[in-house]
Amino acid sequence: MNSRRIAFYPFALIVAALGLAFVRPVAAQSDNDHTLEAMQDEMNRSVARLQLDSQKKPYYIEYRILDVDVRSITASFGTLFSSTHQRNRFMAVNVRVGTPQLDSSNFISQNGFQGFLGNTGEVGIDRDYNSLRQDLWLATDQAYKQALVQYSNKQAFLNSLSRPPEIPDFSTEAPVTDVEPLVASDWTSRNWEDEARESSKALRGFPDLYSTRVHYYLVYTSYYLLTSEGTKLRISRGVAGVEASMNTQAVDGMPLHNYFSAYAAAPASLPQPADVSKGLIKSAQQLEALRTAPNVEDYEGPILFDQPAAASLLAQALEPSLSGARPPLSSVPAYDQMVQQAGGHSEWNGRVNSRVLPLDVSLIDDPGAKDFQGQPLLGGYSIDAQGVRAQRISIVENGILKNLLMSRRPGPDFVLSNGHARSALLSRPEPMPSNLFFQASNTLSPADLRKKFLDLCRSDGQKFCLEVKRMDNPALASESQSDFSDIVSLISDGLGSGDRLPLLVYKVDPNDGHEELVRGARIKGLSVHNLRTIAGIGNDFAAVNYMQEASGGAANTALDAFGSVNGGIPTSIIAPSLLLEDVEVRGYHGEPRRLPLLPIPALH
Amino acid sequence: MILIRRALRFWPAVAVLAAASVCFAAAAARNQNSDSTSSSILQAMQQELQRSVDAYGKGNPPAYFVSYTVSDLDSVSVSGSNGALMSSAETRDRWLEVQTRVGSYELDNTHKIQGREPAWYSPGTEATLDDDIPLLRREIWSETDKQYRAAVQAYIAVQTSKEVQAQSAEQHAPDFSHEAAHVSVSKPLSFHVDRTPWEERVRKYTAAFSASPAVLNSIATFTARLANQYFVNSDGSKIAFGQIRYRLELFVQGKAPDGMDLQRYANFDWVDPAKAPSDAEVLKQVHILTDQIAALQKAPLVEPFAGPTLLTGRAAAVFFHEVLGHRLEGFRQKDVSEGQTFTSKVGQQILPDFITVRDDPTTKEINGQVLLGYYPFDDEGIPSQNVFLVDHGILRNFLMSRSPLVGFPHSNGHGRRQLGAQAIARMGNTIVESSKTMSNTALRKLFIDEIRKQNKPFGLLIDDIAGGFTFTGRAEPQAFQVQPLIVYKVFPDGRPDEMVRGVNIVGTPLISITKIIATGDTPEVFNGYCGAESGSVPVSAVAPEILISEMEVSKKETSTDTPPILPPPAHDPQAKEKAQVNQ
Repeated sequence: MNSRRIAFYPFALIVAALGLAFVRPVAAQSDNDHTLEAMQDEMNRSVARLQLDSQKKPYYIEYRILDVDVRSITASFGTLFSSTHQRNRFMAVNVRVGTPQLDSSNFISQNGFQGFLGNTGEVGIDRDYNSLRQDLWLATDQAYKQALVQYSNKQAFLNSLSRPPEIPDFSTEAPVTDVEPLVASDWTSRNWEDEARESSKALRGFPDLYSTRVHYYLVYTSYYLLTSEGTKLRISRGVAGVEASMNTQAVDGMPLHNYFSAYAAAPASLPQPADVSKGLIKSAQQLEALRTAPNVEDYEGPILFDQPAAASLLAQALEPSLSGARPPLSSVPAYDQMVQQAGGHSEWNGRVNSRVLPLDVSLIDDPGAKDFQGQPLLGGYSIDAQGVRAQRISIVENGILKNLLMSRRPGPDFVLSNGHARSALLSRPEPMPSNLFFQASNTLSPADLRKKFLDLCRSDGQKFCLEVKRMDNPALASESQSDFSDIVSLISDGLGSGDRLPLLVYKVDPNDGHEELVRGARIKGLSVHNLRTIAGIGNDFAAVNYMQEASGGAANTALDAFGSVNGGIPTSIIAPSLLLEDVEVRGYHGEPRRLPLLPIPALH
Repeated sequence: MILIRRALRFWPAVAVLAAASVCFAAAAARNQNSDSTSSSILQAMQQELQRSVDAYGKGNPPAYFVSYTVSDLDSVSVSGSNGALMSSAETRDRWLEVQTRVGSYELDNTHKIQGREPAWYSPGTEATLDDDIPLLRREIWSETDKQYRAAVQAYIAVQTSKEVQAQSAEQHAPDFSHEAAHVSVSKPLSFHVDRTPWEERVRKYTAAFSASPAVLNSIATFTARLANQYFVNSDGSKIAFGQIRYRLELFVQGKAPDGMDLQRYANFDWVDPAKAPSDAEVLKQVHILTDQIAALQKAPLVEPFAGPTLLTGRAAAVFFHEVLGHRLEGFRQKDVSEGQTFTSKVGQQILPDFITVRDDPTTKEINGQVLLGYYPFDDEGIPSQNVFLVDHGILRNFLMSRSPLVGFPHSNGHGRRQLGAQAIARMGNTIVESSKTMSNTALRKLFIDEIRKQNKPFGLLIDDIAGGFTFTGRAEPQAFQVQPLIVYKVFPDGRPDEMVRGVNIVGTPLISITKIIATGDTPEVFNGYCGAESGSVPVSAVAPEILISEMEVSKKETSTDTPPILPPPAHDPQAKEKAQVNQ
């Protein structure tokens, strides 16, 4: 043990010399986990001695390690399709040269550094000392050389600009230390294969279901972060989900699908098979109903989004606007365009103190919230992926934009992080919502909201109006890439920004309130601008847990907003029903696919 | 191309996500493979096949051929790196593939047309691991309709394409061959592999590599793969058989002082669990690779050279595989975008008359060494055949799948693919034989004589070659790049051989393979996984030592990435005490 401690002393001297906070050595671990020691020792050596010839030394070095222990089980109609248990450890090393004002980051160029190994990768899972030091050593070397090339390319590019950007590259934050006990994975308390078989068996009773997959995905993770600034983290978490897809064709040949999802912060908290079955049966019944439902006509007018549908709509429409980080610079115009399309430019950047939502609406992101009216919220955390303490942020107050979600990448409006850097596996941390609360002071009971909806329909002179009870989630509904392409190709002219995919849509008679299920609807061009005016807000606030797609915000549609529990970021949104006054809906204009030549084989 | 390594650690962020599919422990409880499994799977396949032939055979346009393949794969993989376990996995998959061909044998949906990339991948779907026959039938039903729909769309595109109306002579070959039905149902195989000892072994081997400061990174991977394949088609074929392959791979990376990447690789292949390599055998190989990395670090760069070159058997085997084998794959001869190097040379002499090259997937071993390219039936259900490609220097035949050529209307059992790809003509066991042999000692003497005769300061001895990429496409130059890894200068005056590095072979294939002067008398075996359009398939290449009168080499471009700035942590004189920790 003594030999390990020795290494802390030189490091203490170095950080003291740099004027950084002194980091207390963590007591030796009794859990046989040598990860932080290996990280610390290699960090000390790199901080002290990593320098190429007369080039700049790194001003910031960051080690991230992620241990994942995953069980993944897929069942269909009561039988097992696959079952795996995997343990992996991933490493990512980030080195910055320059100064926080101007460094090697936030720049995309064609001529990057080509090393023989990268600065990220899969490493040994033994939590041992020697192999991790070897891996960190090589990755640090590669990351440093990458940063030097990137820095010199960036400076050359900046010299060509008449007015270089004044936004700093990296915010300065206080170091955080939080070494939590390792959480042992619990794989014994429930038989997940049996549960997957049992819950999926319920769908055997639906003779028109072409195919279905019920996925159980259960993961325990331990995240390690060590920075040259003195941040030191070891945080264990879990997440678990049941996600199901189901597919069939309508009687006229239109491909149809539905999905089911249930999430929990730990495998043990997932619903029991009987409850999963209930949810699956409900989704299958919805799909059966859609088979014979008529096609929707093109429509423009008021739409009532019931509470779970409204939450999905808000998640899709708001998320791309919440980030306050600036997009990276690019020396190649084509990349610049890509960055723009990928949501790199947030709609709300530069609009602080302007009205962005109705005057009685506020928007709060609270990573510290644990539940809403007894319902657990999954989006929370206490320290973000960059080691910054999570903060509750009032984004919009009474309709006025006050704040944006910030990582350590500054933007035009704000420089400092507010602890919203999130990442899936070890992807680059980006500002993302955690538990997003949509709040309003003038709300209506569901009955009053519905009355207002029908009144609006009549005064608008509509023969019928549309009510959306469930939005699609293509990430969960697709069983394969070709299913996903099917969903995209259903939309004959491509999926544009702001296009939304409702799944359960009802034609409502404005006079008697009679509802009729229709299919094939697509909402055109509904983005955050359309939310400045909301005709009615319900008081039926409820929380929806979902998996945010890590790449986030591209094209601003459902295809990019939602991911699956395998690789998605747990997020919660709390929202009520919403009445929007003027929404455009297109019916299905594609060629329906012919029905199979043979009758479906029965499952008995 | 022979891919010498399958488990490389290349680290872009996307790859990290992909790597997440490496599994630690298996739980998938498939019923132990048994005869009843086999017969019920085949029964479900045949029932659905009959229904499909009846219905889709009358479709508009009709499907004239339907085949179903169910592959049960059990695979165990244990990988270690730099002294630690990296992953340990056991997975079980059952994969269903459906092929429907629309049109006729002469012209069908698979016909290559301009502006449409050939579909190399074969669509398929996971199927139930439990022997739920009604559900398997439903999966087949759903997949058949999906594939028929795709085939109809593709066929319409073929019919309306201009090229179909105006085609060259080579392209008048039909799209699909008529073949007899084959019925052969073998008992399914099963295996049990204990991963625990392998977890210890990969730790031990990679830790042994780390003892050398010359080794920057090391990976050892043990894999065991069991494949039970079930196949039925509308010709009436019904085939079931299993194969098991075990493999241990060692891979190390280093760097020369000028930044050149150095890598060494070794593999052990076996099919009988009792013939697994011992610890001592593997550690011996570990030390050889380590010594080679250290020697390469110090070796000088080669200068451009053209002159006599001796290839050891294993190097010659890879050389023939790359330079000749890939160009004799039948489908390349009918593809206008391919070089068609040998298309018009059938019956002509293309090699010295003492050289015969055949591809024989029916052979399981040579001189006690396992041949990885053995298989009883190819992936189109055709029995494997021993095919004489070049007989005493004369080009006689091509490697054929069910995609015919003019003059070669039938498959010769070489339609192969990795699961998930479409079968195309590929090599199995490529065997180079010679009628002008001499002992390796005599061959070396002839080599020295040749160096003197040509008045060269030295000749090159190539001991190990990595498969490079063989450019067979017409847009690429007709040159090949195989990467010699271990190369020595051999001096005529008796000085010891001198290792050099950075050697690239350059030249055109047709010329280089005609310059063989003589061969050794001992066949050597190279086992590997060959990657091409239809994915990675196990192959062997077998050849004796060969002496070439002239081979041209150039200097490989060096990397811009210099060696690591700091010494390895375990070999850092300024932090010596750290190396002792938990070793």
